[in-house]
Amino acid sequence: MRLISHRSQRGLESSLVSIALIIVCILVIVPILTTVIISFKKQADITRKPPVLFPCDTETSKLDWSACRWATEGYERVLVPKPSDKALLGFELTGKMFKIYIPNTIFYATVTSFIVAFLASLSGFAFSRYKFRGHNALMAGIMAVTGVPLLTNLLALYQMGIILRKTLPFYNDRLFLVFTYIGFFLPISVWIVKGFFDAIPRDLEESALIDGCTPLGALARIVMPLAMPGLASVFLMTFIGVWNEFIVAYLLVNKNEYKPAMFGLYDFLSQNIINLQVIAAACLLIAAPIIILFLFTRRTFFKAMVEGAVKG
Amino acid sequence: MQTNSYARAPRFDFRKSLPFWLIVPTIVVLLAIQVYPALYTAWLSLQERTPEGWKFVGTNNFTRLFSTALFKESIGHTIIFLVGYSALTLILAFIIALLLKRNVLFSGFYLTLLFVPWIIADIIAGLVFRLLVAPEYGLLSGILQNPNLFPPNGLSVLTAARPDPWIGNFPFPPSPAMVFLILAATWRALPFVTLLILAALQTVPGEVLESARIDGAGGWQINRYITIPLILPAMVVALFNLTLGGMNGVGMVFSLTGGGPGTTTYVLSFLLYNIGWTQLAFGRAAALALLIAIVNWILIFSVLRITRVNERSR
Repeated sequence: MRLISHRSQRGLESSLVSIALIIVCILVIVPILTTVIISFKKQADITRKPPVLFPCDTETSKLDWSACRWATEGYERVLVPKPSDKALLGFELTGKMFKIYIPNTIFYATVTSFIVAFLASLSGFAFSRYKFRGHNALMAGIMAVTGVPLLTNLLALYQMGIILRKTLPFYNDRLFLVFTYIGFFLPISVWIVKGFFDAIPRDLEESALIDGCTPLGALARIVMPLAMPGLASVFLMTFIGVWNEFIVAYLLVNKNEYKPAMFGLYDFLSQNIINLQVIAAACLLIAAPIIILFLFTRRTFFKAMVEGAVKG
Repeated sequence: MQTNSYARAPRFDFRKSLPFWLIVPTIVVLLAIQVYPALYTAWLSLQERTPEGWKFVGTNNFTRLFSTALFKESIGHTIIFLVGYSALTLILAFIIALLLKRNVLFSGFYLTLLFVPWIIADIIAGLVFRLLVAPEYGLLSGILQNPNLFPPNGLSVLTAARPDPWIGNFPFPPSPAMVFLILAATWRALPFVTLLILAALQTVPGEVLESARIDGAGGWQINRYITIPLILPAMVVALFNLTLGGMNGVGMVFSLTGGGPGTTTYVLSFLLYNIGWTQLAFGRAAALALLIAIVNWILIFSVLRITRVNERSR
């Protein structure tokens, strides 16, 4: 008897917890859902007073699902599709967002994450496997560097950019921006990668070294493959960080063709004060790739995040 | 995290120069992008731009900064913002983590869903909330601008004036826009802190909780005397991340309120942007930047001492 009542109490409790969690999830997701709804409205329904959640009311009823006036106007104004014979689907996306800004973002994020993961694994390996003079001081220094606020450095980097633009013939906003991103994401990555390397037992490398492998060979053939999940999480964290970054590009880039997506989005905001559906559509189009990437890689991602938070 | 890394010396003979060359690229990048700019900013804080170039003005920039009313006001806003959003985030995250720890059906699914706000850029998160309260047409504006619910004229979040401060010039109670900024920032920070606290909760041994329960401790007592003390280090780490993120992030202020209405959502980082790039007073901006950096360092190193992360990672 007692056992049964205990069990049913457990069941009741766990369903209460489930209900509470479902409510929390709904509350958290509501702002995103409303953005999705707004993005599919028509201009006429956006500027109504008082505003309505669903554009589904008719003269006779307040909410008639069959009379909803959904539209893709917002997306069309972001993407600007034009019919084209050459394109695969019979039309071409001519909006700046998809022609310039998002490709730029993909370029910046990919290049930065590759270089950051590469440099972090080199120095992470050195910090993890060797003891040398100034070892601890350097690690602490790298940590201290993460404490400098972005805007503090940007003040100087902005001036550096102006000077370099005048003096260096091969100077390019794109190059400078990527270099800056690398500098901003590298310190924390070094700490995370070192943590992952520390967790890999040394016996494997040692036997490889005894068999005549060079230390760099051991890094490339044994340590790096074993630390791949860790390196992947650093790559992902940097990728998402660069994708979502706004202020650095906003301050350092001044040519339209070099702007990343977040900068483009900010431009959209000032051009579309009343056209909320356009802003909503642009937000969703830029956020979608990163959300999808996250859904596929969330385990890897969580790992780096907890590591990174504890470290700095 | 591992303690074994230097427990034993390397047994094999490495070429002495190899670690040096492995580290050099990282050091060069950090010197160029982090150290040199930080020093340059420190130098800049003592200079003023004149038509002939930079001129040394001593601590003039600092005294001028301290005498601006907006600087004092921004400190108040920053404190309110940080306290409001950190407290709200920590409490909500603790509750959600306790729920998730029950390991009910689909808890992995819930965690993933809850995480979406954190993946979204801060500027997008700001816009998503702006869409809700945009004057006249925002979805919530219909409710908020109803004079019956918010007498006398209804409430327009992005244009409402500042309420009269209770104590001196300290901007409390906060403006509606500030409250909304706090809500938006909490929304975005919540998943991350929840994950941190959840990870800590999972290290609390089940036997301890079980024996407390057998001894007759109630749910709240268990939380108060066992769970919270055990996860306190994680809470400190979370608080530290929240404070740093909140103090240095500007994206959300940019896209949600733009510092307004008036100056009611000017936080220090936004003020820094304003002085530097709108007023083009780089010397004074550098002075402010330096102050923010010093606060950051104090925070980082005091947290390192508290949690002894430095000990564990060595």
